[in-house]
Amino acid sequence: MKILVTAKRVEDPESKIKVKPDGSGIVQEGLKYKINPFDEIGVEEGLRLAAKHGGEVVVVSIGTKDVQEQLRHALAMGATRAVWVNHAGALDQLGIAALLQKVVEKEKPDLVVLGKQSIDDDQNQVGQYLAEFLGWGQATFASKVESLESEAEKNKVPAVALTADGKAVRVVREVDNGLATLEVQLPAVVTTDLRLNQPRYASLPGIMKAKSKPIEELTPEKLGVDVTPRIQVLKMSAPPARKAGIKVPDVATLVEKLHNEAKVV
Amino acid sequence: MSAPRPNPLLSDRDVDFQLHEVQAVSRLFSLPDFADHSRDTVSLLLESTRRFARAELYPTYRAMDEAPPVFEHGRVRVHPALRALYAGMVDLGLLTATRPPEVGGQHLPLTVHAVASAYLMAGNLSAYGYLGLTLGAAHLLEVFGSPWVRDTFMTRLYRGEWTGTMALTEPQAGSSLADVKTRATPAPDGSWRIQGSKIFISGGDQDFTENVVHLTLARIEGAEGGTRGISLFAVPSRRPEGDALVPNDVSVAGVIHKIGWRGLPSLVLNYGEAGDCRGWLVGQPGRGLACMFQMMNEARIMVGLNGVATASVAYHEALAYARERPQGRPAWAKDASRPQSPIIEHADVRRMLLRQKAIVEGGLSLLLSASYQADLAGHAPDAATRERASRLLDLLTPIAKTFPAEKGFESNALALQIHGGYGYSSEYSPESWLRDQKLNSIHEGTTGIQGLDLLGRKVIAGEGAALRAFQEEVDATVERARAAGVEAAWCDALRGALDEAATLTMELAARGLAGEVEAMLRHSADFLELFSVLAVAWRWLDQAAAAREGLKRGADGQDFYEGKLAAAQYWFAVEVPRVALLAKLCRTAEDSYARMRPEWF
Repeated sequence: MKILVTAKRVEDPESKIKVKPDGSGIVQEGLKYKINPFDEIGVEEGLRLAAKHGGEVVVVSIGTKDVQEQLRHALAMGATRAVWVNHAGALDQLGIAALLQKVVEKEKPDLVVLGKQSIDDDQNQVGQYLAEFLGWGQATFASKVESLESEAEKNKVPAVALTADGKAVRVVREVDNGLATLEVQLPAVVTTDLRLNQPRYASLPGIMKAKSKPIEELTPEKLGVDVTPRIQVLKMSAPPARKAGIKVPDVATLVEKLHNEAKVV
Repeated sequence: MSAPRPNPLLSDRDVDFQLHEVQAVSRLFSLPDFADHSRDTVSLLLESTRRFARAELYPTYRAMDEAPPVFEHGRVRVHPALRALYAGMVDLGLLTATRPPEVGGQHLPLTVHAVASAYLMAGNLSAYGYLGLTLGAAHLLEVFGSPWVRDTFMTRLYRGEWTGTMALTEPQAGSSLADVKTRATPAPDGSWRIQGSKIFISGGDQDFTENVVHLTLARIEGAEGGTRGISLFAVPSRRPEGDALVPNDVSVAGVIHKIGWRGLPSLVLNYGEAGDCRGWLVGQPGRGLACMFQMMNEARIMVGLNGVATASVAYHEALAYARERPQGRPAWAKDASRPQSPIIEHADVRRMLLRQKAIVEGGLSLLLSASYQADLAGHAPDAATRERASRLLDLLTPIAKTFPAEKGFESNALALQIHGGYGYSSEYSPESWLRDQKLNSIHEGTTGIQGLDLLGRKVIAGEGAALRAFQEEVDATVERARAAGVEAAWCDALRGALDEAATLTMELAARGLAGEVEAMLRHSADFLELFSVLAVAWRWLDQAAAAREGLKRGADGQDFYEGKLAAAQYWFAVEVPRVALLAKLCRTAEDSYARMRPEWF
């Protein structure tokens, strides 16, 4: 089984993130970066599937040379090899999905597992676009299989399950009113939710092995994709700070204020 | 205000600063043994380790402190979380990381291993204890064990399948190992029958691996008395027979109720009560203590790190608390209608925080300097560098062990103090870290022993070669600091303190040569403290230099560098002047307690 996973480079949420005074973006100096946590869960699920059924896990990232750090992270976790689409400058979700489509057509995996969204822009669109571009089935928001009994078991077994004939995967998804189970024919696109699994910690032996694993370099030009963004960011700003609350002397005043000022009762 | 951040255990920014801006750890990567490593591999490893420490170890710390090991039916049951935690630390690769590839390691510099370990220790000191002990035991077997002993015991310890202990202490032989009584008699199969009793054996039994190997000091029957009659044996709790493991007549006689490190049992062990305990000799007969000292010196560096880590986690807890806890108003604005200020706005609270910062970060820097010398001592290609580094490491070891233990305890007390009445309750963690910290001035050689070791042995070793190497290191730092534009007064103060220490050392050594050994050693504890203040001042001057360089580069994080300079200023203003007083006590051999008679108390 060949599985393609993604490793987007995102700002570490533990860094202090500030918007530039002119609203053109965020201040990048001094920020730390990490692999998008949803993608990391995708890498982990890919590794568990490959461990169970055999095969390889190929990890993809798009961006400047810096994204090699995130590729190395995924390789240190155990991915077999990496594909780096070298691109500087803005990208929108359509451009990303188009690039991934070309990589998929080249690699021909049985399954693509990617984060349902990235924690920087929280768009939640790439997986769906990618499935549409490829004409493949999709199962989004994959979550853990509740029926696995022990924690230890859950920590080993892939929650995305290959069917007995090996031609489809069964995916438990998180939906608004609970869990839904889908079966989707391979090849397919799966996007991951936070509760799917707990990613492993990269080990020192894994980190050392990752050094000699190959990273193949591609570019949008080589892949024949025009990535000119169709979406433009006009301005970024921090959400307005909350105003301090007030104390009211009695219930009557509270009701009066809720009715006349807040207009909620 | 946003939700409080979880305790970071150590400051990541400080760790990066110490590794890359103060120590320039990348210089080590040019040594052939370390050539596989780079800043990238180091940052990936630290990322994994920190996450593991924060997400897995730290959340179990309180639970382990509240539910210490239970002794039942002759076996010790430890906290159930330990099984997964131990396996997790082994999986990270930290058990074998610094070892050569032949035994499954990756030749990671100890300097990097030390900071990675500090996160684990700060997260859960007891859980790390099993790893540290096993690492030390396996390393001893790697160096001194016969091929059979290595195959049988070392490989399983390094794979994380069994754990190890160091079994030295007996009820009558703690600091005084010359009095060890445990006996070994030859058995026909080439092994030895062991008989005796050991006390305070940390990790001496647990229920998460199938076996424990005790590196045990014993006296071969007929051997001479004193330390030269002592040999080292590998004694497993269960011994291999064919493909099976059978009980090896090592029994747990009791669990000691400790006030800290409550996830790691401290035991009384009886060997050979039924006459059926086997041990295997490690190293030459009569050389047991010499072998053990390899483990002991590593263990002393580890204890120093324990001290830094335990002070660090409490410092970060106190810092977060001081930023959030509103209490009182500044002296110039006592208007009760204004909201109360967070206590960090009171100068005296900042005094306590800055003292903790100076101790924690000064201590970490000292440990990294010692580890750096250990890396050179073990891996530099030329013999002269190895020898010089080895002497420096020997000199720094008693200081690196004691400073974080003694001053760390003070730092932990300040963390509790900042929490006020809440700090004095078991609802808050600072009291538990204070209890944990206390052990560090006791185990692996008490502070008293370290003082004697420094003054009676280390500082005069090689006819002053160690001291000269230390002077060269300090001089190089002073030069760096002057070039970076660090306050001249600090540079001069450090030079002055160093000269004072060197002169004092010569005077005391002369006193010893003249046969006045008691007067030479009378103030060895003060001598150790003097050297600690000096060594940490050296580390703070180096950090101040790196901070000035960072500010000059316009590197990101001006606040961070200003904080470093304020902590350095604090050390030079508050601690360095004490060198003169301590020197006077040593020089005059001040005799208040020397002439005090037991019956006068």
